[in-house]
Amino acid sequence: MTIEEIRELIHVVCSSGIAELEVQRGENRVWIKRTAGAVVADAPAAPPPPAAVSVIPPIAAPPEGVTVAAPQAAPPAGTPDLTDPTLQPVKSPIVGTFYEAPAPGAEPFVHVGDVIQPGKVLCIIESMKLMNEIEAEISGTIVKRLVENGQPVEYGEVLFLVKPS
Amino acid sequence: MFTSGWIPMRRIEWHDTIDSTMRRAAELAREGCAAGTVVAARTQTAGQGRLGRTWDSRLGGLYFTIVLRPRLEPARVPLATLALGLAVADTLQIFVGLSVDLRWPNDVLIGDRKLAGILAQLQEGALLAGIGLNVNQREFPPELARIATSLRIETGSEQNPDLLLPALAGSVESHLKILETSGAAAILRLFEAASSYAAGRRVRVEMPAGEITGVTAGLTAEGFLRVRRDDGAEVTVTAGGVRPAG
Repeated sequence: MTIEEIRELIHVVCSSGIAELEVQRGENRVWIKRTAGAVVADAPAAPPPPAAVSVIPPIAAPPEGVTVAAPQAAPPAGTPDLTDPTLQPVKSPIVGTFYEAPAPGAEPFVHVGDVIQPGKVLCIIESMKLMNEIEAEISGTIVKRLVENGQPVEYGEVLFLVKPS
Repeated sequence: MFTSGWIPMRRIEWHDTIDSTMRRAAELAREGCAAGTVVAARTQTAGQGRLGRTWDSRLGGLYFTIVLRPRLEPARVPLATLALGLAVADTLQIFVGLSVDLRWPNDVLIGDRKLAGILAQLQEGALLAGIGLNVNQREFPPELARIATSLRIETGSEQNPDLLLPALAGSVESHLKILETSGAAAILRLFEAASSYAAGRRVRVEMPAGEITGVTAGLTAEGFLRVRRDDGAEVTVTAGGVRPAG
């Protein structure tokens, strides 16, 4: 399980009412528990920070785990807030190679900042010469692209973050 | 100009000429056509290859796309690529008596020359399997002559594409059925038996980080090609670009 996937699971816990989440894949197991929600006083302009969560790998020390602290301030204006728990990841359904465009040198399917609708093709993941068009499942705005053109991607790797509209 | 007919339970849309059978099949898939629908052409004006490349689609070849809707979890779908190559190999063995080689993942070869190309795309919620088979070409232009061959060149006799097409389409469907019902292992075993590239073959491979050279060492459970490099390290190849090395 990659750091990216763990980060994403934290997002899932933070953006839902779930108190505790355990996920096992093969020999990897991760347990995420929401502790007392961090409340930042006197910061009405800042977005509500996500609750603090603990990530405890089952085998690795330390036993009390790693605490991921909630951000204390809003990011500078103009840059997307990548910790925003409402951001939705677009993940790769297969192991393969990421392509931003239908052909080398062609215009990419999407750019950061684009407004997308369900069914919009975002990229191609090629695996064993099977070209897999990845389509948007929600409407929103592309806030970030996390992979480079031609880069190998893993199963479940986050490709884009989308701010739902 | 096309005839549209049903060969028992199957819709085949035959075009004398079309821009691309892949484009037309995507259109039909979007409209919700039945699984097994085929778009075929005797020549294409804009035959598609991988990543925007073109596929030489002169008269004499058979060019078709079959719309498939396999019940496979996403991680398994790429294995369909192997099933498509096996389907073509099987049909040619039965109908033409010709033994072909498969170069991972889906090149259909006689020796080092390409007899058929396969393009698989997940699009419009369907798996579009495009197959370009060199049938009755007597020769190829100089730029292709060393890398392409046809059934006519290999067997010395003309073949009837109208009979080959339903056989190929049926074989594609039955091989996907094997993947659906018997799982990855069955397809992997068939591929390893049919391909001289699956194991023990010295190859060059284009990888994202540069070319590697080594010896093939079988397939992973996902269907990827294992290559043992000369320094002993094992590399898993997930894309394509496998070529013989001297």
